Amino acid sequence: MSRRLLGLALVFPALAVIASLFILPLIMSAVGAFQVEGAFGWGNFIKTFDLYTKDILFTVVIIVLSTVLIGIASIAIGGYLTLGEHPVAVAILRWLYRWPMFIPFIVVGQILRTFLAKNGMMNNTFVSLGLMTPLDAQSFLDWRGIVIAFVWKQTPFVALLVAGAMASINRDTIEAARNLGASKLRVLLEIVVPQVAVTLTVGLILSFVTMMSVLSVPLMINAQSPTMLTADIAFRVNSYGDYGVANALGLISLVLASSVAWIYLRISLKERA
Amino acid sequence: MKRMSYAAFAAVFAVLPAHAAELTVATAGDQNMVDYINQYLGPLFEKTYPGNTVRAVGTGPGDAGSQKILERFDAQAAAKSEKWDVDVAVVHEKFVGPMVTKNYLDKYRGDIETGKLVTRNNAKMALGTNVEGYVMPMFNSQTAIAYNPALVPNPPKSYSELAAWAKAHPKQFGYNGIKGGASGVSFVMGWIYAFGGGDANTLMNGPFKEEETKKWDAAFKSLADFTTNATLTPGNAGTLDLLSRGEIAMGPVWVDMFYSWQANGQLPPTMKLVLPAPGMPGQPMHYVVPEKAAQKDLAEKFIALATSPKVQAEGIVKRFNWYPGIDADKVKAELDDATWNKLFVDISPADLAAKGKPFPIAPYNNAILEAYEKSVK
Repeated sequence: MSRRLLGLALVFPALAVIASLFILPLIMSAVGAFQVEGAFGWGNFIKTFDLYTKDILFTVVIIVLSTVLIGIASIAIGGYLTLGEHPVAVAILRWLYRWPMFIPFIVVGQILRTFLAKNGMMNNTFVSLGLMTPLDAQSFLDWRGIVIAFVWKQTPFVALLVAGAMASINRDTIEAARNLGASKLRVLLEIVVPQVAVTLTVGLILSFVTMMSVLSVPLMINAQSPTMLTADIAFRVNSYGDYGVANALGLISLVLASSVAWIYLRISLKERA
Repeated sequence: MKRMSYAAFAAVFAVLPAHAAELTVATAGDQNMVDYINQYLGPLFEKTYPGNTVRAVGTGPGDAGSQKILERFDAQAAAKSEKWDVDVAVVHEKFVGPMVTKNYLDKYRGDIETGKLVTRNNAKMALGTNVEGYVMPMFNSQTAIAYNPALVPNPPKSYSELAAWAKAHPKQFGYNGIKGGASGVSFVMGWIYAFGGGDANTLMNGPFKEEETKKWDAAFKSLADFTTNATLTPGNAGTLDLLSRGEIAMGPVWVDMFYSWQANGQLPPTMKLVLPAPGMPGQPMHYVVPEKAAQKDLAEKFIALATSPKVQAEGIVKRFNWYPGIDADKVKAELDDATWNKLFVDISPADLAAKGKPFPIAPYNNAILEAYEKSVK
């Protein structure tokens, strides 16, 4: 009996932290989403869909697009690390690709704000290389800026997972395909990627959920309309002191995030079975 | 539920350590506000009243910073704390109304000498709430249209001229919408003052009538068209950035920020300001003292010092290019003409008096923001 109590006592601090700092606020904000001036009702959701339907769609489109691009880029990086035959190039790539992972989102926003502007570093470089005239220069500080920021920041994380998984697959399958005359691209797409599909999916899901919660990037790059849900939540709280609609928006992004988290759970259950 | 969360926050705050004879000043606003207190006002106070120390707490830029201070007061009120942990707070105009209505504040202005030096109407009414006696303005700030004279030789003198100019020069006008800082909000408020179809004075002074909010449809429709023709900038600083890089020729900015950037060399000295008719809003930031402040006496001394003509001249006007919080003539007497005139290079005192408007009262303010969210997409 004492062992049992001891066990409970040991997990209690961790449980208490989770209950008071995660579960309680979650329940409070979920309840708050349905409260309008003290009574329960759908008012907050009606207002949310009235004002922010476009932003909800915008958020979904931006994040799905970013996730797809992250997937492609990380397969490309992982694939080159696994199948590349030029040792120097592989070493350089291996050294370089992880850096963005250590840079906070707000710094990414700050960097891209000057990099992607109409007369920013990117366009100035193109102009000085003679690839473009100053008149053709356009600002990327809109939805494209957000996608670029997300992809740049999150690709290394997924690539790290994918490259690790690719390194641990059985080389014989690759060798066999190469011996039979398959091109590298075909080996990558038909032999390697299917074997790391689970890791890739998990990495992409974690990225998806992370991107759902980023406030600094949309705020620094494009806090206009349409914008991401996080910017709207901040605006509701800071400008109107309106926690009701902010909670409703939060609940909607929770639903979006949990729809992919559900896939994650399915995968991890399958792995254990 | 809300009460419980406040109680929980209060419990956390109660555990935080507190020192004796330390004056805690919470301030909303950018880092420069915290620097102002830490580097200038604090040391000056410690020298004037030896033995006391000043601790400045920055709560973050924009309305979000003031919202945090209000929530901290809410928490301590809900927890029925006897002594609150903030002695002096510096908050935006929009938040003093709720603080007064909820009886959080001390009516201290009559107790201090400099209280008599306050002349502007915005120290009596804050967006429709009577706050007479509860606040001392730290400074007044104003928005205006900044422009590049090389690209705009004849700046528009009114909102209608501005709209026509922007139509003729697509993407050359930039503003930051309403979610990226108050200079964009201010531009939108000015648009409604100009084209709203109702009486702008009702919006500024009240009373709030639901039917007034129905008169703005045409104005928002034209604003939506205007916005598709404009460049949207990332934030107050973003507008100045784009202006300095020549990406836009015109945009709404805070006057003090504009002058500070020019003084730092972040903005070319050739850029100029214009205040178009019928006018654009500005706002004060106020010093307030909680009713249950632990060190009320010290807090009053601190504010009296901060609003004395000397400090207003040296700190507010000279260092930060803000318009003074107290009567301008009293401050002018403390400064040489060159420094004083720097404030009025582009916008004359007469312009400021005629076209420097307050923001609309809180319910109209929110209604305009929400109508913007609905129509300008």
